[in-house]
Order: sequence, then structure tokens, then C-alpha cells
Amino acid sequence: MLAEGLNGLLGHTALIVGFAASLFGALALIAAIRLGNPRLIRTVLPYGWLALGGAVLAVVVMERGLINRDWELAYVQKVGSYDTPALFNFTALWSALEGSILLWLLLLAIYTAVIMRRYRERLTDPLVGWALVVMFIVTAFFFFLALGPTDAFKPATAPNFAMCCKGPNPLLQNHVLVLFHPPILYLGYVGFTVPFAFAIAALVTGRVGEGWLVETRRWALFAWGFLTVGIVLGGWWSYEVLGWGGVWGWDPVENASFLPWLTGTAYIHSVMVQERRGILRVWNLSLLVATFSLTILGTFLTRSGVVNSVHAFSDSTIGPFLLGAFGVVVLVSLGLIAWRGDRLRSPGAIDSPLSREGAFLANNVLLALFAFVILLGTVFPLIVEAKDNRKIAVGSPFFDTMSQPIGLVLLFLMAIAPALPWRKASGELLRDRLFWPAWCGAGTLAVAVFLGATDFAPLLAFGFAGFAGGAAIRQLVLATRRQGYRGFLGRTNGGMVVHLGVIMIAVALAASNSYTRTAEFTLNKGETVSFAGHTFTVENVYDFTTSRSVGIKADIAIDGGQAYSPAISKYTAFGMDVATPSVKSSFTKDIYLTLEAGSKPSTGLAKIKVFIKPMVVWMWVGGMLCAFGTVLAAFPGRFRRRPTDAVSAPVPLEEEVAGV
Amino acid sequence: MSRASSLKRWPGWVLLLFVVAGFLAFGSTRDAGARTPEERVEEISKQLACPICGGETVYESRNSTSASIRLEIKSQVSTTDASDDEIIAYIVQQFGAKTQLLPKSSGFESLVWVLPAVALVCAGVGLFFSFRRWRTNVDTVPDDDDRARVDAALAADAADAAAALAADAAAAVGDES
Repeated sequence: MLAEGLNGLLGHTALIVGFAASLFGALALIAAIRLGNPRLIRTVLPYGWLALGGAVLAVVVMERGLINRDWELAYVQKVGSYDTPALFNFTALWSALEGSILLWLLLLAIYTAVIMRRYRERLTDPLVGWALVVMFIVTAFFFFLALGPTDAFKPATAPNFAMCCKGPNPLLQNHVLVLFHPPILYLGYVGFTVPFAFAIAALVTGRVGEGWLVETRRWALFAWGFLTVGIVLGGWWSYEVLGWGGVWGWDPVENASFLPWLTGTAYIHSVMVQERRGILRVWNLSLLVATFSLTILGTFLTRSGVVNSVHAFSDSTIGPFLLGAFGVVVLVSLGLIAWRGDRLRSPGAIDSPLSREGAFLANNVLLALFAFVILLGTVFPLIVEAKDNRKIAVGSPFFDTMSQPIGLVLLFLMAIAPALPWRKASGELLRDRLFWPAWCGAGTLAVAVFLGATDFAPLLAFGFAGFAGGAAIRQLVLATRRQGYRGFLGRTNGGMVVHLGVIMIAVALAASNSYTRTAEFTLNKGETVSFAGHTFTVENVYDFTTSRSVGIKADIAIDGGQAYSPAISKYTAFGMDVATPSVKSSFTKDIYLTLEAGSKPSTGLAKIKVFIKPMVVWMWVGGMLCAFGTVLAAFPGRFRRRPTDAVSAPVPLEEEVAGV
Repeated sequence: MSRASSLKRWPGWVLLLFVVAGFLAFGSTRDAGARTPEERVEEISKQLACPICGGETVYESRNSTSASIRLEIKSQVSTTDASDDEIIAYIVQQFGAKTQLLPKSSGFESLVWVLPAVALVCAGVGLFFSFRRWRTNVDTVPDDDDRARVDAALAADAADAAAALAADAAAAVGDES
């Protein structure tokens, strides 16, 4: 510590100040709530700002260290180098464990400060007060992680230039998405802390009615939207950078982001049942607890080195702390739920399985089952290793097998549920309301068959997708007829836009997983080959050098038109080959080219691999639609329904609907 | 009732059923055409685990071991007339038995398949009993008393925050005096 440089000193100071501030903030707030003292509550605000200041300063100092190449910091030695371009040097902050905890900490401190500022007039309300206490405690825990087990400001043991200065992993200095994917994903991850905090506050104060749900509705939506976009961006990054032509590999880290997404998705559906009918209270609390604790568990699984993963950072001592935190979160939450059990019992009932709430319940059961299956598959190798001391791997084939039927049933529910009224549906009603959506599905199926689609599962997926899309569009058409452009706003209608986005992603996944055509060709310069209705001409094969890498590139003209240039780069500092694909995208298919090892510029020989992947673009458009729909859903709907009003929306004029 | 809504009674749905069944049957039984050697390699390599990385398939993995396995599969595909399963068996034997990515369906490993099924059954049974319980204590139509209570609760809800603040402030004043 004596030899600690300026950056190290500043960073540690910022973290200590932030840690102390969040801890004192929590204690002061608890004291204030217990004593009911508004003066004491006013002292909480500076603590919150101080914690935010500490987190901001820590990140700024780390960036300063990276930008100034401060080799006295061990972390800068680990991820920095003289020749990393400015952008990737900036993003190097989150290219390894210590820095990514700093990013997490920053976002958490921002959320805490925003909550504090937003509710500053209402901190005397115990519900808000306790929620902020939870936020402070979680923030303090992450400050503690950043100070102890993942100390980013640890001084370097020796200025060992032979070891250091390689820069971030080549895959993390290859594409501009590295700037967006991790922060956006973390915004979603960390954002679920807010509804979780309110859930705990509701349990502590015993105000387990619907008040806390209304407070956190938008926060949950916000977090969900960012998590969704973050996951889709991750898929895009994988597609653009990794060169195997896929978007999702069921890697443990991917699963770790998908698990809270599943439980979060379940929550934003079932929360509507509780708001409307006052039932499923325990279930909703459990879903939020599950979502938050799964982010912690996911971080534990992937950041502690217990599970092998392409995303895993090197071993560290963070594991026991995260596992401990997971245990504490689960035990405390379950304890609180048990303690408040009497208040959580609700008088309401679901009258019929064939109702909107029945469909939400089914969707929840499926999403929870999905989450269980993926969690089981992810930790199963650990279980087997602990029991039999042998290593097994559970990979894509398992997850694909399991997720296909669940995904199909979910799509089917997406088709039925929007047409179901609350409380109870009759056969006649469904027969009328589902008629055109069902024909939409049949039409989609017919189009798919005419375009040459084969195999049962993807065809079923297309049919259900068309059905679900028809149901979503039906709802939007009816709503906009009644309310004009406002028919796109509010939870139900915005939700239908999100459904359309999810459907597009599902269609894209079904099509690109089932109908990708692949071939590999070894061609001489000037040679043309044709495959799957396209021609590929090798115009040139050449060496190239950058400050960080040497590599080979080929210019390949597709259908005699523009040339696309896949490359292989060898990052000299790492001795690691990175293949960079080149993709020609269109709305119906992507032509994805990679250059394979064995290409020789000296003899003009190019070894190329061609993937023809249908409908991949739909995935990115669907992701954008999800984000857009989330924003629409965050707007309040036209009016708040009174609980004693008729539960179903007015039945539309059937002649008009039929005329659509 | 108009023509459109009588269409929706049953003729439309029966027609729909036939159309969907027809297209599904036609689409799923026709031949997708011959696969290229790379597509066979792909299909096989997707079923094999990269032996040194855990969790990734040989298809996805970019390391040299996986690359050599892909090469081996490729030479098997192009030089022999072995089936996909025979090639998988050969590769598993050549590169060690851990290459299978699917957990076995027997012994302890079968739990990974059995537990989800158990969970599904439990969920189904749980739902069944929930609905049965709910059905026995349905009390649906709100009477005037209920309406009055909702009005009171809504009014209280709106004033809730302000009231809480005021109460706290009053309490604090009380403490001080």
C-alpha cells in the first residue's frame, strides 16, 4: 500500500467512501424509520449522493488509469496495452472481472440515487424507506466486493512488461458492440434490484397489497426492456464476431442472462393478475426474489470459475461471497414470506382456467419450468462432478431438445391469451375472436410451405407464430379503432408490440436454425463457384497488418456484385486467431462468409465457408420492436379501471372485426 | 347474424383444420434435398462436445482440438460411407468418451431428463388442485357493500402518501414538544 500510486489511492478512497456512505445510509434510514424521525431521514440524502459519487469516481479513476496507461495498477496491466485503440481501451474497463464489478457498482449506485431522488418526499413512508434500505445494502455489498475480493485498484506487484500490456481479449477489441452489449445487459440485470427492493419492503412493512406493485411496474418494465435488448445485442455480437454463424450457444453465461429474463418475463405477466384480481401474491414476490437471486447466482456461476464458459473470467476469490449473498437473499426472502404468510393469503380466485388470468398462470408455469430446466442443465455438470468426481458436459443438444417444445407451447399461448377475457371465456367467444388470428397462422404456414420450408417443428413454429401475430395485431387494431394512436399505448397494447417482436425473434430462430445451408470451397483467385442460387467469386486474397495483428483477407464478390471481405487475424500479443466474418444481409436471408485456415495469399488460394441463413435480420428487428413496445407499455393506458367495473373490455362489433 | 359470423361457427374452423393439417403433412414429409458434406459435418459436430472446453460443442468451439475433430469428421464424411451415428461413435471412441454432449438417459445422469418431467407433473397437479380450490370458494358479484369499500379504499389510496407524511410530521412534532 505504501507504493500505491495516485490512481490506486484515489480509487480505494472512492470505494471506501462509497462503502461507508451506503452502509451509513442504510443504518440512518433504518433508525429514522424505527424512530419515525423526519429530520434523521433528511440526513440520508447526502449518504446516497456520496455513494454515487464514490462509484462514479472509482469508474472515472479506473478509466483515467486505462487511458493514461498507469502500469502501477494490476488491472491496467491485465487489460491495457499501448496500442489498444481508444474505444476498446475505454471498454477494457469491463473486459475482466474486477472492472465489470465496478460497472455493476456504478449502475447500482445510479439506480439507488435515482430511487432516492424520485421518492425524496416520501422517504418517511416505510415502504419506500425500506426499499431504499435494501438498495443501500446491496450497493454496500458490491462496494465491499470491489474493495476486497475483486480489488480493481490493486497495485501491480512488479512492472512486468513481459507479462502485461497485451490489452483486452482479442474478441473484446473486435467490434463496436462491446461498447453497448455489457452496459445495456447490466442495466437490465441491476435494474431488477429495484422491484426486488420494493418486494422486500412490502414484506417487511406488511403492506403486501398491490401498492408496491404499482410503484415498481415501470421499474420492472425498464429493467426487462434493457435485459431483452442486452441479450439480443449479445446474440448479434456473437454472430458478427465469433464466426460460427450462430447467435446463441447455451453457454453458461448466456444462460445466466436468460434465467432472470425468464422469471422477469413471468413476473411482468403475473403482476397484471395480481393488480387486477389481488391473487398470486406469494407467486409474484417469489418471482422477483428469483429474478434478483438468479442474477447473483448467475454471476457466481460464471465469475467464480466453477463453470467453464467462453465468457468466464479467470479464477478469483469472489465465489464464496456471491454464493453467500445468494444464500442470504434466498433465506431472508423465504423467511419474510413465511413470516407474512397470513397477510399474503388473498380472498380472490381464478374462476376458470380458460380466462386471461388462467393463460397468464399457464405462461408463468411454463416460464418457470423453462427457467428450472435451464438452471438444471447449467449446474448439472457441477452436481455430477460433486457426486461422482467426473466431468460431464451439458450443451446445446440438451437445451435445444428441452426448449423447443416449451417454446412452441409459449407461442401457442401468445396466440390464445390476448383474445381471452378476464374471469371466464366461453367457447363461442373464443371461436369468434380467434377466427382471423387462426387463419393468419394457417396463411403463414401456407406461405412457409410454398417457400420450401420442411420439417414438422419449424412448420408448427411458423403456424403458431402467425397465429400469435394475428392475435397481437387483432388487439392493436381494435384498440386503435377505439382510441386512435393511444391504442398503441399502455401495458396491454405496448405488450402486443413486444409480442410481435418476440414472434419475429422466434420465427428467425426457427428459420435460421432449421434451414441454414452451408458449404466450404477452396478457390483460386478469380475462380467462381455457385451454391444455393448464388455465385461467389474470389477477387483477391491478401495479407494485411494492423498495429495489433497480422492477417489474411479475401475479397469475395457475391452474385458478381459488391465484394465482401472475411478475414482471419492473428493477434500477435496473444498468438490467437480470430476469424472475422463478412455478412451480406437482406430481409429474407443473410449470406455469411468466413475465411478458413489454409488460405494462402502467396498462391492466391482462398478457403471460404458460406452460410446461407434465412431471416436472421428478423431477430434484430424483433429486438428493436421489443424495446419500442416496452417504451409504449410504460405509458399509462387510457384510464385506470375501477375494480368494481365489468372485468372484460367491451366486446367489439363483430361485423367490423370480421371485415378486417 | 351476418354471413361472416356464421362462417366462424364451424365451417370456417373445420376448413382451417383441414388446411393446416394438409400443409403440415405435406411440408413435413417432403424431402429437404441432399445435404452438402459441410452440412453433415455441421450436424455431427453439433452433437459432440469439445473435449477441452466443457459446454461448447465442437461446432461452436474455435480451438485447435475442435478444429482437428472437425477435420476428422470431414474426412470420414468424404472418404467413407459411414452413417452419422457411426461417425459419432468413431469420434467418441477416438477422442475420449466425454465428447457426447447429451447426458445419458440412465443412472444418475438421467436426473437431468427426469427432474423437468417431474417438475412439469408437479406443476400440473398443483394447478389442478388450485383451480379446484378456487372453484369451491367463488364469490364473484360485488354488492353495494363491496362497492362502498372499494370507493373508500381508492380515496384512501390517493391520499395515502400525503396522509403518511402528515402523520409522520405530526408524530415528530409530538416528539419534540
